[in-house]
Amino acid sequence: MSVQTEARPVAVAAAPKPPPRKRWSRYRSRTFYAFVAPWLIGFLALTVVPMLYALRMSFTNTNGISDKARWVGIDNYVEALHDADVLHSLYRTGLFTLTVVPLTVLGSVLLALLVNQPIRGKGFFRTLFYLPAIVPGVAAALTWKLIFDKDAGPANGVMELLGLDPVTWLQDPAVSYVLLSLMLWGIGGGMLVSLAGLQDIPKELLEAARVDGAGKLRVFWHVTVPLLSPILLFQVVTGVINALQIIAQPMLLAPSAGGVVSAAKVSPDTNMYMVHVYAQYFTFGRWGYGSALLWLLFVVVLVITFLVMRLGRRVVFYNVDPDSQGEKG
Amino acid sequence: MASTTSRRNFLRGSTAAALAVTAGGALASCAGSVNENKGTGGGGKGGTTTIKLMANENEFAPELIKAFETAHPDIKVEVLVYDDTRLNAMLSGGDAPDLVRGTGATITPYIAKSGMAAPLDDYFAKSKVLKADDLAPVNDVWRFDGTKQGAGPRYGMAKDYSQDNTFWYNTKVFEAAGAKLPSATEPLTYDALLELGQKLTKRSGGKIKTYGLDLFGVSIFPKLMTMVSSAGGTVFAENLESVDFSTAEARDALGYYLEFARADVGASVIAPAPEAGTAPLFKADRYGILSAGYWLGGALYADKVADHIGFAPAPQFGSTRVSPCFGATGLWIPEKSSHKDAAWTFFEWFMGGEQAKARATSGWGLPALKSLEGELPSAKPAQKQAKEVQTAELAHFSTLTFSPYAKVDALEAALQQQLTVALKDKHSTGKLADALNDKVNKLLQQGVELTK
Repeated sequence: MSVQTEARPVAVAAAPKPPPRKRWSRYRSRTFYAFVAPWLIGFLALTVVPMLYALRMSFTNTNGISDKARWVGIDNYVEALHDADVLHSLYRTGLFTLTVVPLTVLGSVLLALLVNQPIRGKGFFRTLFYLPAIVPGVAAALTWKLIFDKDAGPANGVMELLGLDPVTWLQDPAVSYVLLSLMLWGIGGGMLVSLAGLQDIPKELLEAARVDGAGKLRVFWHVTVPLLSPILLFQVVTGVINALQIIAQPMLLAPSAGGVVSAAKVSPDTNMYMVHVYAQYFTFGRWGYGSALLWLLFVVVLVITFLVMRLGRRVVFYNVDPDSQGEKG
Repeated sequence: MASTTSRRNFLRGSTAAALAVTAGGALASCAGSVNENKGTGGGGKGGTTTIKLMANENEFAPELIKAFETAHPDIKVEVLVYDDTRLNAMLSGGDAPDLVRGTGATITPYIAKSGMAAPLDDYFAKSKVLKADDLAPVNDVWRFDGTKQGAGPRYGMAKDYSQDNTFWYNTKVFEAAGAKLPSATEPLTYDALLELGQKLTKRSGGKIKTYGLDLFGVSIFPKLMTMVSSAGGTVFAENLESVDFSTAEARDALGYYLEFARADVGASVIAPAPEAGTAPLFKADRYGILSAGYWLGGALYADKVADHIGFAPAPQFGSTRVSPCFGATGLWIPEKSSHKDAAWTFFEWFMGGEQAKARATSGWGLPALKSLEGELPSAKPAQKQAKEVQTAELAHFSTLTFSPYAKVDALEAALQQQLTVALKDKHSTGKLADALNDKVNKLLQQGVELTK
């Protein structure tokens, strides 16, 4: 008894030890925040702060140099909504997005289905289809320019052999098709993602469907597509965001002087929204107006992404309930 | 005192860290400026001052910089690649370069009015190398008095120059087309030039094998200004705050451009020149006429094409013969430079003396100093012919006045965009003029607001 009585005060004097579960929880929490901190700091410094700075600029008429810039309220936003060039570029970008996203997603799924077949040399074909995706965009665009040069390009050489008139590929309206083909050239990246999704589909489900008498098309439509739908949603969302923000390819396809590309030289048909924004900043020195255009695009992207995600809830099938994942671990 | 890591605390801490990183960057750049300022007046490490020279890549060879540093051991030169955005950032960030390259003919009003450039009259007045009475008239394009280019303080100087509306022709292409060579003394009219371009252009299966005429190059705005000036008009209003493309002279010039582009005889906004430009095609006897100044000779004399080329006076659009310079490439010193004296030392060394003489004898441009005018090369027949034509052309030199309220690059971009749209959508000249007035005046208006 006495031993027990002496031991108790010592235990009381020491700091109360938290229960093991609480310590573990705190350790986990600290580790989590330590790991995400570099990203979060980068996000705040390189995204949030510049965005807020751009928001502030969007209410001024600054050109980035003058110290006489003044507050113009929402004038830049009002002008943007009435600017025929902005509306034109927005229309072209919307049209481009509606064309290129379905084509690239569909194309990548079809390619993935092709190279997922049990055929000889499928590794070779997977590499072959993926290779264009790792060619730097600048190199690909410049190659395209050489191929589609009106007077010296092989594309018109083939046309000539076929007895057809040469086409001015890099000008309107043909340049839209050149841009589209350039985008489709890189679908190997999407193919790889779709392939990973296809290989994740449990074979038992496919076999069960076949045993139940489903044909290839029905298996594809009722089993493969639903199980692949999270991957498709991911590709659609990232595809839409990328397409709405496209800038490099149209500028690289435009004529350059001594290797210097200019947003102002982009053909009207490929004058996408971000090209127009870039021109406002760096060609015309309208930093305030350009910032307003950027914020408008940000809102548009946000709304479209929200809508796609909402739509996704109805059509995307998750094999495992995503909400339960956090609780398991 | 037990530390708890709540989501809110974490976010608060991260925000503070991010702001510290951002502010730290800004402070670091300010600190850099402060340290550099200490070096002003030769007080830097080891008594040397480092000046920052912003120029195009390969414009200042390392050997040239080394030669200067050997002659002036107390000054080091750091060459930065010219970039508009970088220049703006440096100027507004308090870390201005000390010397900047520029085309005086088009940028002087802008850099003068916006306060970017420092007036150099005091330096010129004291200089024993660059004397006022030795400066060629072209250097006046680097002057601006607030309303007129060519008068007022000097903001820079040309390293060399050309009268850029002149043209070079390839006699082999002319012979193949059975065309008469242009006169060395009488200017062609623009209409005659277009007719010639059509005659020289050879097509095969819809593709052009030999191009006839590269008349507008990459800078259409100054060329249109020249045409309008020749016809007795002006593009800019007297106060330089707006443009008017709807005058008869301006509409005629625009109409000519549309006709030229539709004729498809050479590079235009809807049929751009190849990546490497038109000179390689000219050298390969696939271009009949290139509109370019005397400077192009420097690129041609060493080539085999040199034995079948000619140089001709600037064509004439209206009743007056005008032959301006669109470049006058040289240097200017930013007002915010911390090392103006050291910058001027380099400026003086590069613009005068042996460096200027070496440039004059190379044939890559006309000397910006009168005393060097006799140094132009004339050993080869092509050099001799070009020198004769150029000497006569000097009598028609004129200075165009650009607006201080917008960079000419911005005006050029707006013009090319509208020309492209007009050609694509088959707009009339009047509609094109209206669109240009709208777009360009909007840019100028912003400039007026930010300058006054």
